[in-house]
Amino acid sequence: MKLFKKAGNTAQILSFPGEDVNKGCYLIIEDESSKRSMIVQVIDIQFANVPGMMEGLLRDSFMEDSAFAENLDPLDVMSHILYIQDARLLICKIHGTVEDGKLLSDGSWLPSRTQSTIRNLPTSRLIEFTGMRRDLPIYLGETDESTGFIIDAHALDGRLNIVTGRKGTGKSHLSKIMVLGLLDHGAAVIVLDLNGEYVNLGLGADGEKNRYHRKIHALIPGDNFKVSLSQTNLFVMMKILTFALNLPGASSREFSRIWKFLRERGTLTLHDLGEAIRNWKCNQHVKDALLSRYHALLHSGFFSDNMAEAVILEEMFFSAKDGGALVVDLSNASSTERQIVVEYMLGKLQELLSKERIRPVFLLAEEAHLYLRETYWDDIVTRMRHFGVFTTFITNQPNTIRENIYRQADNVFLFNFINEHDLEIVSRAAKVDAETAISIVRDLPPRHCLVLGSVTKDFPIVAEVRALDVQAKGQTRLFFTESKAEQIVRL
Amino acid sequence: MDSMKSVKGGSFQPYGMDFPSLLDKREDDVPTPINGKAFTAQLTPLTPISDDTPVIAIDVSSIRIGETETGVLCAVRGAIVWNKRRTYRHLRMGPFPFHISEENKNVIIEFLDQNHLSATSSSSLIDLQIRLFNIMEKWIQMLVCKSSSNSIILWDGSLAAGTSNSPLIVISNLLRTARQRSNSVLAFSKVSKLRFLGRKITSLIWNYPPPWLFEVNEEYHSPIQHCLGSTYIARFRRNGYSFRLDIDRKIPSGERVEAAQKLLGNDLTYQSYPESLRLAHIYSTFTASEVIGIQRCIAQRFRLRVMAQSNVRKMLFGPYGTRSDN
Repeated sequence: MKLFKKAGNTAQILSFPGEDVNKGCYLIIEDESSKRSMIVQVIDIQFANVPGMMEGLLRDSFMEDSAFAENLDPLDVMSHILYIQDARLLICKIHGTVEDGKLLSDGSWLPSRTQSTIRNLPTSRLIEFTGMRRDLPIYLGETDESTGFIIDAHALDGRLNIVTGRKGTGKSHLSKIMVLGLLDHGAAVIVLDLNGEYVNLGLGADGEKNRYHRKIHALIPGDNFKVSLSQTNLFVMMKILTFALNLPGASSREFSRIWKFLRERGTLTLHDLGEAIRNWKCNQHVKDALLSRYHALLHSGFFSDNMAEAVILEEMFFSAKDGGALVVDLSNASSTERQIVVEYMLGKLQELLSKERIRPVFLLAEEAHLYLRETYWDDIVTRMRHFGVFTTFITNQPNTIRENIYRQADNVFLFNFINEHDLEIVSRAAKVDAETAISIVRDLPPRHCLVLGSVTKDFPIVAEVRALDVQAKGQTRLFFTESKAEQIVRL
Repeated sequence: MDSMKSVKGGSFQPYGMDFPSLLDKREDDVPTPINGKAFTAQLTPLTPISDDTPVIAIDVSSIRIGETETGVLCAVRGAIVWNKRRTYRHLRMGPFPFHISEENKNVIIEFLDQNHLSATSSSSLIDLQIRLFNIMEKWIQMLVCKSSSNSIILWDGSLAAGTSNSPLIVISNLLRTARQRSNSVLAFSKVSKLRFLGRKITSLIWNYPPPWLFEVNEEYHSPIQHCLGSTYIARFRRNGYSFRLDIDRKIPSGERVEAAQKLLGNDLTYQSYPESLRLAHIYSTFTASEVIGIQRCIAQRFRLRVMAQSNVRKMLFGPYGTRSDN
């Protein structure tokens, strides 16, 4: 390999056949004369602009049928010509300089074109240079050189993460690995599981209980996840009514009075709430509005007067002292029910965290735009983070996450996108230059992701996500299953 | 090929993209005026004869690829294209690299003498280069003349002889060998310096609908040159160009015309130029990437150190040193 050009933070390197270089891999340009080395990442591989190529290719097209073409080439010059014609140009982004064994962010110097030697830089060595911690390892998969790619759970702690990619590329798979990795280190995790994919993380692929079984708690709203009004703070209930059930301001004030009245009387039950609304002296329109919201709460099945079946969240957190995951299965919930449950969960979390009654939690939110209200996005990345909610958004529609979220994300796990519009959106992540994100992400094969951010010390790394021995629920059900096809053939 | 041994372990300065070609140095391109009185020519309309006569075309290219401390490095490649029943086959020979230096000059001169391509110790390295190119060309032409029969053989250039690049004895021998095997040699010149009344004969305007041959009286040639062919202006297509065509003079007049008609009937003549000869040119010529490949091959095989190209004019005059060195 030879250094050809450097402009700004981009270097162009000539590479020849036989040199094993892939998109996303790192190279080190070692300049002995200046005792410095430059670390660059290959973001695109193009054909070198070898002069006369068009003429050569046009001529070769006549000669494709070797039965009619012979070459008398005793010196085997042709092999050298083909070697030159297959030369590639590696477009690389400069990521820093190594001087006296230390990594510096400086990329402004110019290595010698003629004296420099260029070699592949294995990810393991890159990690050494960057000094990435591995105290709390989470084994995500493998890098291009088949070495393990391990991130440190510290790099997810207190951070905002985004996992995005088009359908079927492995986002949920990676998220499950992250959940289990966090559990290994005793973390508390809440998963807002839109498709019921995470509920069986406690079972192996063979259906047997695995070592996580005890730590995974699947909560199905209306089934094993019900709460009583007496456990619910007015502040949380007001959020549900306002944001999930769109209760107008005047009606909210009236509801607040009713709630306080019942609480003072010690009769804060669903039944008494209905009665109180019916008998409350107020404007008929307000009463109608309150009654319709009351029925919505009632029919959601999420609230119960039976204290025996009511779940006490803080107790669930306390019981999981060595780590545990609450998987809220939203797969069978209607849109309104989803919003009621999420408002309750987030409100309750905020309440518990602000009183420091529970430890910080990692929140994984799949397709959050389907249940998260507009104002929550900013709340989650700013205020709630300070309380101790560290969110990971998982989506296959990158445009559903706002630009400011991308800009504030500490870690981004990008899977393949082909659509230019999607690529343009993910390129807004502040942790990488747009050119790198677009160029690498466009060509990522399934189950490979580009990892950016704190977990990699801002060195974008491509990794293949490892297989997971858990029961894969949530896979798309198909009509034309194998057995169905066999039946049709038999007919 | 032995010439390359002399350069082993040395250094060389590869040429950049402006590879100097040798083809501009042919001696038969000297402008030759035609005497108006001698211009007793006749136009012969042609009728294509499609009889599956094979058409064989030969072309050779040479290029300078760099300089050593003692001389120049060049490469030669030849191509033969066979067209039999409209199926084209080809053989490429080379590239063959040569090193020509003051040190091995005498060995090369001796080798050229043996092949009737005279050169003297005062010959420049470029002259020797052209002679080597000619040896390759004549060698391939002889191979084809000897190995083919009842064929139309196409050469690039003219049948002018008597110069140091095209010795009379060599060209005569080639044509005789071809005739003995019932081959007809036709030489096409893309650029002719033959002029009539100050104008190139190939650019004269002709109203007669092609295809035709216009025979030019042979008395035109210069005292030092002998044209071993009858010279024609050939035009095969209405939308094509006119070319100078030399056909072996020792072939009877009728057969010469018949040979042109067979060419017309058995080969494509897009733009009036035979397709076989066009392909031979394409296959022999060097592209820029090939020259880089040859430079790499030479550097590796003969362990040559590659030196950066320096341009004294540029170094002295900077942006004002733009005129190329001759």
